[in-house]
Amino acid sequence: MRAIVKNGIGVFTPQGFLDGNNASSFLNLEDIEATINLNVDIILVSLRKVVFFNKNGLDIFVKLFTKVRQKNSTTVGFCDYDKKKFVAINKFYAGELAFSLFKSLEIASLFSTSFKNQQKNILLYSEDKSQRTAMAIELHDYGHNPVVAISEEDFDKKSLNNSAYDYVIDYTYLGQMGEKIATRVTGNAIIYTISAFLDAEIGNTFNIAYHNNSLNVGFRLFIFDAYKVVSMNIHAFNFFSKLSTSAAEYNATIAFVGLESTKIPESFIENMEDSGIIFYDQMDDILLNKELLKELGASSAANIKHKRVIDKDMVMKLPDFIDATVATIEMMTNSKAIKEAVEVSKIEINEHEGRIASSIGFYGDIDGMVILVFPSKIAKKACELLIGESTDDVELILDTLAELVNIVGGKIKSLLLDHNINVNITLPRTYHNVSDLLEVVESKKGVQVNLAFDDDKFLFFLTK
Amino acid sequence: MITRNNISDFIDKIPPSPKILQETIRYLNNGDLNKAAKTATEDPALSAFLKNLVNKPLYGFKQEVSDISQIFGILGLSGSQQSVYNYMLTLLSPKKWNLFHLNEISFDELQAVFSIQWQHILEHLKIVDKDIESSITLLPASIIVSEALFSKSKEDVELLRSVHDLNYNTILQRLCDTTLFDICVEISLKWDMPQVIPDIVRCASGINPSKEKDINKLGKWMHLLLFYELSQPLFVEAGLNDFIEFNIDYVEDIYEEFLEVMGVQ
Repeated sequence: MRAIVKNGIGVFTPQGFLDGNNASSFLNLEDIEATINLNVDIILVSLRKVVFFNKNGLDIFVKLFTKVRQKNSTTVGFCDYDKKKFVAINKFYAGELAFSLFKSLEIASLFSTSFKNQQKNILLYSEDKSQRTAMAIELHDYGHNPVVAISEEDFDKKSLNNSAYDYVIDYTYLGQMGEKIATRVTGNAIIYTISAFLDAEIGNTFNIAYHNNSLNVGFRLFIFDAYKVVSMNIHAFNFFSKLSTSAAEYNATIAFVGLESTKIPESFIENMEDSGIIFYDQMDDILLNKELLKELGASSAANIKHKRVIDKDMVMKLPDFIDATVATIEMMTNSKAIKEAVEVSKIEINEHEGRIASSIGFYGDIDGMVILVFPSKIAKKACELLIGESTDDVELILDTLAELVNIVGGKIKSLLLDHNINVNITLPRTYHNVSDLLEVVESKKGVQVNLAFDDDKFLFFLTK
Repeated sequence: MITRNNISDFIDKIPPSPKILQETIRYLNNGDLNKAAKTATEDPALSAFLKNLVNKPLYGFKQEVSDISQIFGILGLSGSQQSVYNYMLTLLSPKKWNLFHLNEISFDELQAVFSIQWQHILEHLKIVDKDIESSITLLPASIIVSEALFSKSKEDVELLRSVHDLNYNTILQRLCDTTLFDICVEISLKWDMPQVIPDIVRCASGINPSKEKDINKLGKWMHLLLFYELSQPLFVEAGLNDFIEFNIDYVEDIYEEFLEVMGVQ
């Protein structure tokens, strides 16, 4: 079974009946490992469409969870259940719950470092006092405002005030949480969350390939959310210094937020500042300051030290890239595409009004970036298949567009594999308008293909 | 990926039921098992299908039963009608499955377990009605339709489903404003199946409840039976578990009773 991956959470959704005979048919270690490779920080099995389960069935999943945790330190567990199912699972594993239980996927996403919407007012309750505290601390760390109900009566009373809370959490249990360095994208900045004591292990838990590729794709601001860092040793210090030096080659900025100066030696701070790392007290000091963001590069043009140009290898594979893109958009819109013009040049967009864009990078045997510029009309039509209805909600369209570009990336990956070319794809990036896109790619040379879907013009641009 | 034209092409290509089968069904409807058996014998493929069916271990015969009259006698009027409909459906099924990991044997197995379990349910509900008993035979048509429409776009569908929780029925509905079960209804019309058959199967989709209470109730039982069987390892591994969406809310009121009937602990 394949997982659906969104916001850093991989979810498997079996349907029907779950017991010792069939659970291993639904999910095996390979399925989970394939999902982990997609950079998730939580893996869950949804019980939303499971009408019956017994302990033998869950045991098979729990054994898989244990293996995954031991190997990858990913948060694992179940989600989407009612009170009856929650009570049953607690009864099955009384006192031995090593996995997490999230009443809904929405609640799980509050505990994901990839969750974009922070500062939510959250009412929470658990019979277990230590669980209430653990959840409150986690939520607070993720930038939310938790309100803890101290008894069931208190919870019922507070729950009546619907408008006071964005989310209400009950029937939820936090097992061992993930220890991976989680990554999320906020606007044009990438935020890594680090915690506890940092030592040489940071070299293993930090995804350097992802980071390097983000630089290639055009990200220029990398923020380390360090509120939960207790201290660091010389190995971690060296790691960050090197990271900052390499970022400088791309004119990128590394920033630390929430790291108290008393927690690490003064000389570390001084040397890190010398290597270009900037320190801030609060995340909002950066994210809410548009001028500063611009200055730090989160909305500025890419100024890559080593400009990379499109080469012959890449051009040879162009038909694959175009086929993947055209096939996907055709599939999503049920309309035919006509290729109008192909040109090797800098990106040229004549019509800026009513257009949104998205990009996805790939790296491996060859690396580069595909950029798609959509008329809003096509984007909306393509997204209708995924969301099931027409919408004018720009954020929803951009989110769905990211999924669409992910499909394009997946298709490119599989087409290239047919030619024995192995690549991995990055997280997709979306742009509200053409100007935002041009800030990143205006200076890059690549192959531009103009396509027409019915009467709408659509632009494909392949660059390095 | 799939257009309304693809669907029309598929429906146009559904063969009308062969004359021998029509005759056999007509005799069965008239309650004449002997004439039905005599007619069925004229179709070697149907005869072979019936022999294969009745000699399965679940019927428990020690010696091979090969006489069609004897087979119809064993199956009875309703069982014989179901078997002929099941055979008709195999005429639609692909020689080689691509979308689902199925083959002739496993599809045959699916038809057989559906028929047996449906009979079990109807006995529990104290329903004796030949057409209602046969309604289960149309249910696997939804799987054949999925295979026919989506097999050429298998990779695209997989990619689509890797980013969003979508099943074949929903994709078809969003792309073409029709469902797999609407196409099953078209099949039943082409084959002159009694109206109650498509009515129940449409409800069994879990998204089209009927205003008729009795039909709706049968649709709920069939929807739950569908997912009971599609949760079996053979069919999970065949990729059938999530080909349509299981609507738990729809079957909530019969769930406990279903577990009892199926002997689920």
